[in-house]
Amino acid sequence: MLQNMSPGHKQSDCFKSVYHFSGITPREPKKKFKGNDKTYYHVKDIAFLHHEPLLEMHRAIRVHERKIKKAEAKKNVERANRLREKTPKPKIDRIIRQRYPRFVDALGELDDCLTMVHLFATVPATKEKKIDVDLIHKCRKLAHEWQAFIARTHRLRKTFVSVKGIYYQAEVEGQTITWLTPHALQQVVPDDVDIPTMLNFLQIYQPLLGFVNFHLYHSINLKYPPLLDPELEAEAAEVYGLIRYAQSNNKPTILETSELVESEQLESKQDGPEIQNKKSELRLAQLQHQLPSNEPGALMHLVEKAAGEDGEEYDDETKQCKNLFQNVKIFLSREVPRESLHFVIPAFGGMVSWEGEKAPFAETDQSITHQIVDREAQGHRFLSREYVQPQWVFDCVNARIILPTENYMVGRIPPPHLSPFVDYGEEGSYVPDYAKTIKHLQAAARKEVLPLPGVEKDLEDPQNLLAEGIIDRAAANQAAKEKQKLMILEKQYHEDLKKELQGATYTSAGSTEVIQTGESLNNGQANIDDVDMAELVMPNKKRKLLKAMEISNQRKQSKNDTIIRRKKKLDEAQNQRS
Amino acid sequence: MVELDNQKEAPIPSDYNEDSDDSDSTQHSDESDFEDSSADKDGDSSSGSSDSDSDSKSELEDGSPAQDNSGDSEDAESQDEDDVKSEGGSEGSDIHQEGVGGDESDSSEDEVAPRNTIGEVPLKWYEDEPHIGYDIKGKKIKKKEKEDKLGSFLANVDDSKNWRKIYDEYNDEVVELTKDEIKIVRKLMKNQAPHTDFDPYPTYVDWFKWDGAKHPLSNAPEPKRRFIPSKWEAKKVVQYVRAIRNGSITFDKPKEEDDAYLLWEDDSGLTEKANHLAYVPAPKQKLPGIKWDLNFGVQYNISFSFEVLLVLIISFCLSGHDESYNPPLEYIPTQEEINSYQLMYEEDRPKFIPKRFTSMRSIPAYENAMKESFERCLDLYLCPRVRRKRLNIDPESLKPKLPNKKELKPYPITCYIEYKGHEGAVTSISVEASGQWMASGSSDGTVRVWEVETGRCLRRWEIGEAVNCVTWNPLPDIHILAVSVGQDVLLLNTGLGDEEEQQRIKELLLVDSPKASEETGKKAPSVSWLKDDKHDGIRLRHLKTVTSVEWHRKGDYFSTVMPAGESRSVLIHQLSKKLSQKLPFKLHGLAVRSTFHPSRSIFFICTKKTVRVYDLLKRKLIKTLYTGLKEASSIAVHPGGDNLIVGSKEGKLCWFDMDLSAKPYKTLKCHPKDINNVVFHRSYPLFASCSDDSTAYVFHGMVYSDLNQNPLIVPLEILRGHANSNGRGILDCKFHPRQPWLFTAGADQLIKLYCHY
Repeated sequence: MLQNMSPGHKQSDCFKSVYHFSGITPREPKKKFKGNDKTYYHVKDIAFLHHEPLLEMHRAIRVHERKIKKAEAKKNVERANRLREKTPKPKIDRIIRQRYPRFVDALGELDDCLTMVHLFATVPATKEKKIDVDLIHKCRKLAHEWQAFIARTHRLRKTFVSVKGIYYQAEVEGQTITWLTPHALQQVVPDDVDIPTMLNFLQIYQPLLGFVNFHLYHSINLKYPPLLDPELEAEAAEVYGLIRYAQSNNKPTILETSELVESEQLESKQDGPEIQNKKSELRLAQLQHQLPSNEPGALMHLVEKAAGEDGEEYDDETKQCKNLFQNVKIFLSREVPRESLHFVIPAFGGMVSWEGEKAPFAETDQSITHQIVDREAQGHRFLSREYVQPQWVFDCVNARIILPTENYMVGRIPPPHLSPFVDYGEEGSYVPDYAKTIKHLQAAARKEVLPLPGVEKDLEDPQNLLAEGIIDRAAANQAAKEKQKLMILEKQYHEDLKKELQGATYTSAGSTEVIQTGESLNNGQANIDDVDMAELVMPNKKRKLLKAMEISNQRKQSKNDTIIRRKKKLDEAQNQRS
Repeated sequence: MVELDNQKEAPIPSDYNEDSDDSDSTQHSDESDFEDSSADKDGDSSSGSSDSDSDSKSELEDGSPAQDNSGDSEDAESQDEDDVKSEGGSEGSDIHQEGVGGDESDSSEDEVAPRNTIGEVPLKWYEDEPHIGYDIKGKKIKKKEKEDKLGSFLANVDDSKNWRKIYDEYNDEVVELTKDEIKIVRKLMKNQAPHTDFDPYPTYVDWFKWDGAKHPLSNAPEPKRRFIPSKWEAKKVVQYVRAIRNGSITFDKPKEEDDAYLLWEDDSGLTEKANHLAYVPAPKQKLPGIKWDLNFGVQYNISFSFEVLLVLIISFCLSGHDESYNPPLEYIPTQEEINSYQLMYEEDRPKFIPKRFTSMRSIPAYENAMKESFERCLDLYLCPRVRRKRLNIDPESLKPKLPNKKELKPYPITCYIEYKGHEGAVTSISVEASGQWMASGSSDGTVRVWEVETGRCLRRWEIGEAVNCVTWNPLPDIHILAVSVGQDVLLLNTGLGDEEEQQRIKELLLVDSPKASEETGKKAPSVSWLKDDKHDGIRLRHLKTVTSVEWHRKGDYFSTVMPAGESRSVLIHQLSKKLSQKLPFKLHGLAVRSTFHPSRSIFFICTKKTVRVYDLLKRKLIKTLYTGLKEASSIAVHPGGDNLIVGSKEGKLCWFDMDLSAKPYKTLKCHPKDINNVVFHRSYPLFASCSDDSTAYVFHGMVYSDLNQNPLIVPLEILRGHANSNGRGILDCKFHPRQPWLFTAGADQLIKLYCHY
């Protein structure tokens, strides 16, 4: 049933890329006839490939390439160029449909696609590596479209700033999609990476993401792709007028953020869907037109929904996400990673502005509640707002509450940034201090009607006297802390109660246990032997499995132990200092 | 070089050949001259002699002018020919002239060179002569004295120009070629024109002078067609125009953007993937901080190949908050720890070392981003994907549920009595059928009988040699002890019991010595029954060392095993008749132990790798059990008779259910060292093993009468307490016949009794 293909077996490029496209992978046969070093494919898979129309296409491409080569050899540059333009392109849609018969299937396997597309959005275009400029622009476009959708529909759930990049986790149609975006710095293309292979993958990822985006935009009644119309660049001011008009109507349904020198955030109400649509398209068009300019910043646009938003139903979590930054107005300084913040803040319902001509509101706006700063050197400091580090946004998002900003003030080293993907539920896992404090804060926020200290209260009406506000906040903070303590005590009490309740059963079980222990005391080794005894009777296979598990558990434990040890040392050092 | 020399000189004769016409003509003229002269002579002679020859003279005179004319005409013709030649071969003439010019130089050399005038006479003719030929004056050219070879060789070696020197045999001299000549030779070797001045590619000089030409070569007027547009071209153009209008020819189409469209419009009807073969979706990439979920329950887990899975597990273990740009301080390894990573194996080394950046601004680009993405790509299309069933792998759940040990009581737990007295390792013990007495043999050469309850040593025999095995007769009224010592087996009367019994025992132990001798006369003396006066018993002298003695349940027969005895390694003796016989079967392998079936006439022989089961009445092999062990050391049969256990020197214990299979029903790997003995309890469902690791294991081994139910084996207790001496631990263990007690004999000179309370 299985055909073997050794790695040494020369696979034609054509076949190779067809493998990528049609998603055929090697199989692991139960019995390997030709040894472990061989790769095995299912005969049916191979037979299937033989009837693949793509194969025909690849042959045509190869023939075409030969023609180009010939023309070049004859120095017929014109013909070569013409032929090059006419190179047949494989149609991917059929294959995508074949691989992912349902939309959900496509969403379920979107992780790799998104990561790759986001990576290639930051890769430098080089001729010697055959990375095309258009390709990168397209990647960028697709990535931003995706982000725009996620932000618009508030589907983002978790973010994590790691050394490798920023992880985002979104939930679309019940599928958890996680992707990694590299930091907004230029990637280096190492030599030991085979770019053609990656491009081959990109060849299918790009259309896949395009189709997915189309489907998603379609689902919220938006046209896709957002039209490109460079003429409208000049009309930006006019569009801005429209936005102002929408704002004056005071129905904040539409958010559009975008970034670049001229990027803007639009907040508008939808009077006529057509106008709005057109407007958004204009914006997108304009922004996309600007893309090629090699600005390090990236574009991020939120697309507004054409139809009435009120009709849309959000589940609880989405609502929670949507309202997280509801009353927060954030201004970004120049040095912060704008790209990701432009994505994250609107995704959680916040308003964001930046330093630029077309920014929705200027730095001097008194209603700004937070300014995100990553550098101490500040010109004018407004007393009405908090100057926080960008990590604050990400931590807030992960904790789903607005965290107190004291620790995130400029000039301080921020508290540790914790991974939201860690599950503390498992027994014996180490919980960092800051995770505990966040947990307390979350509990406090949930229980109390008034969410944490007057942060929002004060900031909602920034016209108040600031000093008063601060004092209020401090007082409120204290109160909250006391309450937390009470909470903890309460919890403890409850736990004790529970224990007592269980006590009845406990004692009955306990008595037998006592007897047992008494008996086992007769022979000091009884307990140890108990463990060994069961292992004696185990079959070899299970025993080995058990041993492997024990080893891995030990490793985990030792890892945990080292962390705890380090923590102890650190605490001791701190105590000595203090 | 000689050949080359010839080549070089080749032009010279060819030159002559070219001029052959001239030479011929001259020869002709010479001939005619000769003739003339002869005629003159004749004329002279005739004029000088007489007139009678006048006729002839006139004839001659007539003839001579004709001859002259003819000669003249020939000359003229030849001259004409020459002229024609010179005119016709104008091209050749240049070359010829040049060639001649070249020849001139050659000839000038030649003029000097040929001293010898012998011509092309073979030099062989002059071999024996002192001279080599004659010079132009007719003098002999003397041969030069030959230098001795060594001298010439040395001269040659010293002379840097040696390679250019050629020996000329004809003239008997050494010619040194000049550099120019060498060049010529080289050129010839390359098939080039020999002369250095010769230019093979001269610039072409047109013979026609175009400068002053007033008129074109052709004065024809311009043809009409040069002024009229081509009809066919026009037709072609019209064709193209039409084709373009029709749309069959299109120009640079705007680039087709493959736009997205609603691909999954109607996927509601689809429930499952309509793929050709089972499609395994790729496992998702690991996330920072996701731990490997051990309590997965039963569900499918998809992984790339096994190795990848392992790697995944490890990396999951490592990641937590590590990857954060600002992890908690305790996650950052200290410098010492980072240094210690260098000492680890490369595979164990953590792949990712957490780092801390105090602000987001300072995070650098991740250098491995591309590489990791690429590796992911490779995984996606090169790794086989496997659906793995993940069982509930809670480590506790893997362990089998054992029945509560309390319910399996009683079994030996604690050491109750120690029997001290032996001065060497106690190698063997045996309990009397009633359970009151216990005998022990030791390597100090003594056999002792103890009272079980009190630990009192009742009797002591000095055998003088290390005791291998001690066994009580299984009948309660015959107090005979079989002791194997070296090559002997002693049957000792313990002196227990009342007088009647003593009387019987004494009768039994009476040996007819002549009878034994008679027997030896007939056959090879496999065993001789002798009377042992010192200990008041019987001594059975064997050929080889006896390792074990085993009684039949009826107390009349007993078997002995001599591993080195080859065909006579297992013997069965009858006490009442004082008879010994060897087994009528062929043993495959080295016999280790033997034992009787507890109820039937079946005999088990344990060899190193197998257990062979014989029916003694029918005298045939019933079964062979394959232990799969390297070296079995002991065997015990369950009192029911259908189950048996075999202990091995690699510490494994095999339980055979003979009804079930010829292979072990269960193999327990309990001891790290050799198992010395295994025993079943006679009445309780217990069995035990003792080993050199100074432990004895007590198991619950329940055999059900229901054939459908497999025996239940539960390890119950590990009995420790013996000390290790010289790498040996517990050498023997025996159960009490009535009580769930276990006796153990250690190499530390102690015997211990473990009781159930």
